[in-house]
Amino acid sequence: MSLRIVSFKKVFQGIYSLLKGMNVTLHYLLHPSTVVTQQYPENRETLQMNERYRAQLIIQHDENDLHKCTACQLCQNACPNASIHVIPRKGPVTGKPELDYFIWRMDTCTFCNACVMVCPFSVLKMNGTFETAVFDRDLLTYNLTHYAGPTSTVLAKVSDPEERKKMIEPRNIYLDKK
Amino acid sequence: MKVETIAERVSEAWPHHPLIALGYLLGCLAGSALFLSVLGLVLIYAERKIAAHFQCRLGPMRVGWHGTLQTIADTLKLVLKEDIVPSQTDRFLHLIAPFLCLLGTVLAFMVLPMAPWLQISDLNIGVLYITAISGLGVLGILLGGWSSNNKWSLLGAMRAGAQIISYEISATLALLVVVLFSGSLQLSEIVQSQASGWWIWRAHGVGLVAFVIFLIASTAEINRTPFDIPEGESELTAGFHTEYSGIRFAFFFLSEFISLFVVAGLTATLFFGGWMPFHIGAWATFNQIMDFIPPLFWFFSKTALIVFVIMWFRWTFPRLRVDQLMKLEWKFLLPLGFANLFVASVVILENWYFFPK
Amino acid sequence: MGLGISTLEKRIHLSKETGSPLSTQEYFVNMGPQHPSTHGVLRLVLKLDGETVKEVIPVLGYIHRGIEKIAEHQTYRQSVHLGDRLDYLSAFTYNWAFSMAVEKAAGIELNDRIQTIRTLFAELQRIQSHLLWWGVFGMDLGAFTPFLYGFRDREMLTDIFEETAGARLTMNYIQPGGLMYDLHPNFVKKVKNFLKYFKPKLKEYDALLSGNIILQQRLRKVGILPAEQALSLGATGPVLRASGVSYDLRKQEPYGVYPQLKFEVPIGKTGDCWDRYWIRLEEIRESLHLVEQLIDHIPEGKFMLMKPAVKIKIPEGSYYTRLETARGVLGVFIVSDGKEVPYRMHFRTPNFNNLWSVTAMAPGGRLADLVAILSSLDIVVPDIDR
Repeated sequence: MSLRIVSFKKVFQGIYSLLKGMNVTLHYLLHPSTVVTQQYPENRETLQMNERYRAQLIIQHDENDLHKCTACQLCQNACPNASIHVIPRKGPVTGKPELDYFIWRMDTCTFCNACVMVCPFSVLKMNGTFETAVFDRDLLTYNLTHYAGPTSTVLAKVSDPEERKKMIEPRNIYLDKK
Repeated sequence: MKVETIAERVSEAWPHHPLIALGYLLGCLAGSALFLSVLGLVLIYAERKIAAHFQCRLGPMRVGWHGTLQTIADTLKLVLKEDIVPSQTDRFLHLIAPFLCLLGTVLAFMVLPMAPWLQISDLNIGVLYITAISGLGVLGILLGGWSSNNKWSLLGAMRAGAQIISYEISATLALLVVVLFSGSLQLSEIVQSQASGWWIWRAHGVGLVAFVIFLIASTAEINRTPFDIPEGESELTAGFHTEYSGIRFAFFFLSEFISLFVVAGLTATLFFGGWMPFHIGAWATFNQIMDFIPPLFWFFSKTALIVFVIMWFRWTFPRLRVDQLMKLEWKFLLPLGFANLFVASVVILENWYFFPK
Repeated sequence: MGLGISTLEKRIHLSKETGSPLSTQEYFVNMGPQHPSTHGVLRLVLKLDGETVKEVIPVLGYIHRGIEKIAEHQTYRQSVHLGDRLDYLSAFTYNWAFSMAVEKAAGIELNDRIQTIRTLFAELQRIQSHLLWWGVFGMDLGAFTPFLYGFRDREMLTDIFEETAGARLTMNYIQPGGLMYDLHPNFVKKVKNFLKYFKPKLKEYDALLSGNIILQQRLRKVGILPAEQALSLGATGPVLRASGVSYDLRKQEPYGVYPQLKFEVPIGKTGDCWDRYWIRLEEIRESLHLVEQLIDHIPEGKFMLMKPAVKIKIPEGSYYTRLETARGVLGVFIVSDGKEVPYRMHFRTPNFNNLWSVTAMAPGGRLADLVAILSSLDIVVPDIDR
């Protein structure tokens, strides 16, 4: 056992390295301000998601609840897995194609943001509403438009409110079951 | 301080007042069952909270105030779970393995002196008894691993068997140092002998080395990181207790935590004086001030400190490989233990320690 | 799977007596698809003799999603987000590889701002990926605390990514033609805060894990991979550099703004687990240095040079582009027949080749060594199965 004298130094070095490691963990124990946990349901009032966080797709409606979507279907072509279906209709008053239903399937969406990128009118946006869990998968197929009808610019040219009402039909967020 | 164990009380009362004796016995049984279960709950909660604060997070916070009722909820869940016994196993062995583990631990708890009036039984070969009883725990682990019909469990159990029986030797050698100093195997005598000071500082270098060896060996005995390869969570999923569910899994878990307490209590008894307050030789006034604090408090605070240190080890160090563990024991701790014992005997013969008898 | 099963069966029947005086036998254990320390759904069939590993047979395919097949039906811009799902810890780099392949093939030129931002994100992603690796490495070896510390520090980077790119794991940020969004106004400030916060933490990591004698004993001289064997297995990245071969695509075939940056590439000596561990920590330091060089000098300019709605067409032919991710060399191979949809698209992923070095390193060691080796290779299994 003549190696013993050499290894004593290594023993003390080894023990010292262990103590240094214990010092690091002790530091975190004694400083409770280093805790990084956020208690989720209790902090909902103050929780703010980032502006660009992608949790739910919406069509942006202005203060009159009108949008700018012309049903050009560029987003439908850009979506990699057919999670968007833009259903146009022939306008009852104008005779031109306009948006009827804008179906977004959240269960197949990969949140890749391609639809938002290609929209020429910046109608689509992904917001930070992340509490979208449901118990029934049918509830994940949304209709994003609040009405079927022409865009807000077209409607702004029509001065008569009665006329405007005739061009618009309200739509629900979930498709009516047939 | 009059020292009387519960076993003595029972045997005193038996000839003339058998009902009182029976009362003591049943009270002891109920008391220790209650104490051990509450202890298990408290220790598991403490482990989770301490682990969380080491890791800059909060731990259980929802069930009860700051998570205090969490372990009760967990125990309730485990009790209500289905008890699965794998089909092609040795059913009898599978059923008794957790009980053997728990049995070994609880029997060791019986001789722990917690206060002058609170010790269940005081064998005159206390230290030898404890060393022997730890062997039952190994049996439980080996049976659990073997009877699970699962190669991973078997690996874990074999590792545990080798590990525990090896480290018992080092633990015994460190124990022997204290036995030499106090001159008795009886645990209450060991505590009494520390009336002029605890062995860890009274038997200066020798005591410190013995303490370190005993701490390392005990951590290995109870299969905790850095020696937790038998239940190595990242390698063997759950090692020897993979195939257990429900309350029998809880028994393995409980026996680990109770042995944590027993081992810490033993360290406290041998090296830190057990329930003996902090005395320094014959300094009467100082000793009297120290005596104001009740002995039960002394015992539990020392044990809690050592439990904390063992938990600290778990959350800081990676685990050793099996052959490194064996090498540590046989090529390092064992020769060190022998040398320590030899030096200790020289120190005792020449009275080269503080406040010799 | 047919070929794999017959080989496996043959090997099981070839298990022989070990010839020791106690009449022992080798046995097969399944480190199955669900296991705490195979990083993903990877099945390893181990032939053990007691505790010693005799042979390791990886069985793949548990997370095969047909990404390359999907890409044959999608336009180029639609395939970019598939790369995120391959190695989700280096999502930016995979986006960049694919975008670079498409841009080179279609002949799209980029400006300095785009290249600088791409390089910046790739380096930040490298730091983030190595931080996760460090945490998981500690956890596999039994030290549970580094996992939490690694994730806590990684969270700062994830927040930075979330603010600019909009997502935390599958960002889809680097697109052919530029970037999806411009940098967020808070980006530079937050990155500088991170740099200031993180440098002392590296010293803490060293004190906690690297200097620990238990770790050193677990890692030194364990899983030695000689340089020739590493090269013949096709291992790249830190695995190859640990064996002593100086090969980093950022230096050999620079892309982005790497030609203008000063940085060192750490090289190992022996090729054991310790070298792989140490090299990754050094790479974190070098990446911090790179980020420091870049963060104050981001040029102005547009962030997207083509309209996203335009369907990119690549002239006929086959194209191969490669770059260096946190784990090794990633190659993107596109065969085009002139349409907007590729004829064939193949990813040469670093993890596939790195995984097979386990079969060379693990035999002769123990089970615990196998876990250490597997962890030091830093594999992400979805990358292997695609």
